Amino acid sequence: MNELQKQYPDEIRQILAKYPPEYKRSAVMPLLHLAQRQNGHVSPSAIDEIAEILDVSPTDVVSVAGFYTLFHLEEGGRYRIQICTDLPCALRGAEHFLKAVCEELGVAVGETTPDGLFTVEEVKCLAACHRAPMFQLQGDGEIAYHEDQTIEKFRALVNDLRRHAQTHKEAA
Amino acid sequence: MAVKMVNLTIDNHPVSVPAGTLVVDAAKKVGIEIPVFCYHPKMDPVGMCRLCLVEIGRPMVDRATNQPVLEADGSPKISFGPKLETACTTPVSEGMVVLTENDKVSEARKDILEFILTSHPLDCPVCDKGGECPLQNLTMRFGPGESRFLFDEKMRLAKQVPLGELILLDRERCIQCARCVRFQKEIVDDPVIGFSQRGRALEIVTFSDPGFDSIFSGNTTDICPVGALTTSDFRFGARPWEMNAAASLCTHCPVGCNLTINVRREARAGGRDVIKRIMPRQNESVNEIWICDKGRFAYHFTESEQRLTEPMMRKGSELVAVSWDEALQAAASRLKKAGEKTITLAGGRLSNEDLFNLCQLTSGLGGQYWMHGTMGGGDLLAQVGVGQGTNLGEFGPGSAILVVASDLHEEAPVWWLRVKQAAERGATLIVASARPTRLDRFAKCVIRYAYGEEVETVTSLVPEYKTDVSEAICAGIQGILGAENLVVFFGSDGLGLEGTTALAAACMELLVKTNHFGRANNGLIAVWPNANTQGAFELGYRPAADLASRLAEAQVAYIAAADPAGDDPALAEALRKTGFIIVQELFMTPTARMADLVLPAQAFTEREGTFVSGERRVQRYYPAVRPISGPRPDFQIAAQIAAQLGFSLEERLASLVFQRLSEAMPDFAGLTYQQLAMVEEQWPLIGRHDLYFGGTGYDNHQGLGVQLKPAAQRLEPLNLPDVPELPPLQAPEGAFLVVPITCLYDRGQTLLPTSLLHERMEKPAIYVHPKLATRVGLEDKQSFQLVLNGISTLVQVIFDENAPEGAALLPRSVGVPIQGPALAQKEIVSG
Repeated sequence: MNELQKQYPDEIRQILAKYPPEYKRSAVMPLLHLAQRQNGHVSPSAIDEIAEILDVSPTDVVSVAGFYTLFHLEEGGRYRIQICTDLPCALRGAEHFLKAVCEELGVAVGETTPDGLFTVEEVKCLAACHRAPMFQLQGDGEIAYHEDQTIEKFRALVNDLRRHAQTHKEAA
Repeated sequence: MAVKMVNLTIDNHPVSVPAGTLVVDAAKKVGIEIPVFCYHPKMDPVGMCRLCLVEIGRPMVDRATNQPVLEADGSPKISFGPKLETACTTPVSEGMVVLTENDKVSEARKDILEFILTSHPLDCPVCDKGGECPLQNLTMRFGPGESRFLFDEKMRLAKQVPLGELILLDRERCIQCARCVRFQKEIVDDPVIGFSQRGRALEIVTFSDPGFDSIFSGNTTDICPVGALTTSDFRFGARPWEMNAAASLCTHCPVGCNLTINVRREARAGGRDVIKRIMPRQNESVNEIWICDKGRFAYHFTESEQRLTEPMMRKGSELVAVSWDEALQAAASRLKKAGEKTITLAGGRLSNEDLFNLCQLTSGLGGQYWMHGTMGGGDLLAQVGVGQGTNLGEFGPGSAILVVASDLHEEAPVWWLRVKQAAERGATLIVASARPTRLDRFAKCVIRYAYGEEVETVTSLVPEYKTDVSEAICAGIQGILGAENLVVFFGSDGLGLEGTTALAAACMELLVKTNHFGRANNGLIAVWPNANTQGAFELGYRPAADLASRLAEAQVAYIAAADPAGDDPALAEALRKTGFIIVQELFMTPTARMADLVLPAQAFTEREGTFVSGERRVQRYYPAVRPISGPRPDFQIAAQIAAQLGFSLEERLASLVFQRLSEAMPDFAGLTYQQLAMVEEQWPLIGRHDLYFGGTGYDNHQGLGVQLKPAAQRLEPLNLPDVPELPPLQAPEGAFLVVPITCLYDRGQTLLPTSLLHERMEKPAIYVHPKLATRVGLEDKQSFQLVLNGISTLVQVIFDENAPEGAALLPRSVGVPIQGPALAQKEIVSG
């Protein structure tokens, strides 16, 4: 049984309605978002389910998910801290900031903290060069920008998120 | 419709090519090589690798007057763009000037190669592609001697990623040309590999189950311009320059794909020639430059340890080895005594030469000869088979193809590919079948019938019989009426001998009544079970409905390349009554175990011969390896037995047998081995010199074969058979209908020795629609005793929504004997 279909019948109907039936494969991106909403990554079974809904091969779905950095095929932390280290950000100290973040959390880039809360990622341009160092926080179904960052500001945010996670075990 | 020609100059050579031709192809046609990686002449261009950059100029036009601008000397003024253009995506235009060899172009090629090589490993000495690698060759020719990139920043990626059990990926070697991804999507409609990630992290992934789930997957290793994709069969097997190449034919289905067999003599094989790999050999009228994975990998039977090597005779209850002299004498004396009570039974895997000598020997004795098999109708192809000059590659708008009772994807994969591509080019495809097949989605019209209704379905397509027909049939009739050309493929899906014979007659009637016979690109094609079933029909062999009683009455049964006892328990029973059984075989089959005399035959790789394909193309195959000692070619064994009996048959060379054959058989009149070996230039240019362009498949120097003219094309009168009516298929209470289907990877004698394919082989199982299963009381994945024709076999149930509700599907050659539609029961286990 198609779990995704079962879980989000209305959402899927609304998404598919946006595209002509013969081009329903175009719905792959919104469906990937939908699948990722649940637990922060797109599971292999979700890939198969999307392929089934859209009548394409699972490999086609993986190709799209793999191309975009905001789709995750592997399980990560509840919160993904995505730090831009492109040239303009680097000029404003993004690389040092990244290093400090990693030391603060005790993980390397791409790794997740032992409590399963934070994954640190290095990403390409997020279009906020003038307010670097900056990162994007992805988690609990939301995406937020944090700009003009210092390690102190970051530490405060992390503490807030830890407290929030203590009281709210499940993602909102 | 005349094709508009366009004139241009490439490196000062005037060139005239049809409008729409790409610059890269136009150059290739006049012998100017523009290097490419991602471009492939069989696929749409994508312009990804940038290696084909050339300088292109076009005649200037004065915008005010719309007149060409002229130089002082009156020649058109050419305007060159500021940047180079990709020759693979740019179509030619009138007056175009292309420069492929100036400094600007050389510099660009050098730079592109330097970029491509920034992350490519230098493991050519251990790479399977080394020696026939476009990247290696083009780098040597056009590339820089050194790289300015930092070795430390090289991508380091996995080097042994199995995409499935057949194909391995080396991620470091991939240059991201997407030839494999495009081949799988555009050409064979199996989009099971794709790109993931981007930039330097781009990599090939598969997400199918089993991995790289495509029966054409091996072709990607031919067109991969680097050593990124290799077959697990050939990986680290040999270097390309160590191997000899012999032209051959595929023996697994009636398409007749042209092959090249690469062999190497190996010390560890005791100095024997060892087959290292099978490659496609170009024949644009047959297989183009593709083959299926069965053809590529299922050759191991020829080198099996289980091959018979010595003649054996029954002494007491045991089969004991004897000399050839003793064996031949014993055969001859038994045959002489039996005389007209001799029956010869031959399989469709024998060559024409073998079949000819066997039937000459049998006729000389006054005996009878038959074909082993459950598909009929081949005699009708001699009348209305496709005309000489037929090429599915030419099918497009105005042509129609009807496929009846055949799952081409499983039964004859390269025909499936060619029919699919014809439909994509605009040919009208009509598919009539009892269950969905992979051809349906390309069809203009799909006619679904119930098993047993094959003949009336085809008959209802004859326009003049038009009575009360369904919408699908109407669409089919429209497709046929609107077509200038029509070929009909008929197969044996769900049919036995009686059904296929009747179906062939119905197909012939359709072709004759709609005047689609006796000329090129029109006529009948049979999807036979074997490579040379058609050849056997041409030489007068027929399948016998009453074979069991004939065998039982025979004093001597001479059985070559057939396993009646293994295929049909009724025939095994009959053979127990046969006086003396001679079996000529590769393996100790169930029939050979019953034999009184066993004669070991050579494999097709050890000798030469000819086959007739389903399209009635006579083609040659050549010896690839030196024969193992012991076995002899079938035609020679037959001739040596004949010699003992005092008939003179040709035993020396297959070519001399063929000479006698062509003198004796009117359809082959005038044909010689020399004619079969003739070639002409084919497009695209592929092969050793053109590796970078078409891939590592082989070009054809050894013969394109000759298509036989059917009687209708020779303007001989037709003999239209009556179309018999088939009895309706109905299952009484307590029983259910089971029909045979053909699957690509069955468990046949020639396939089992290829262990590489074991995971993909069919199991002893029947495919049952859930509704039918409920009626019969079967559950998914349940094993039960299936009683079929009185024989009980343990099989598994596999639920299949695509199976019809009226009949369960049983693959042929998986260990459960089935000859045609049959009634089955579930054995009630008491206690």
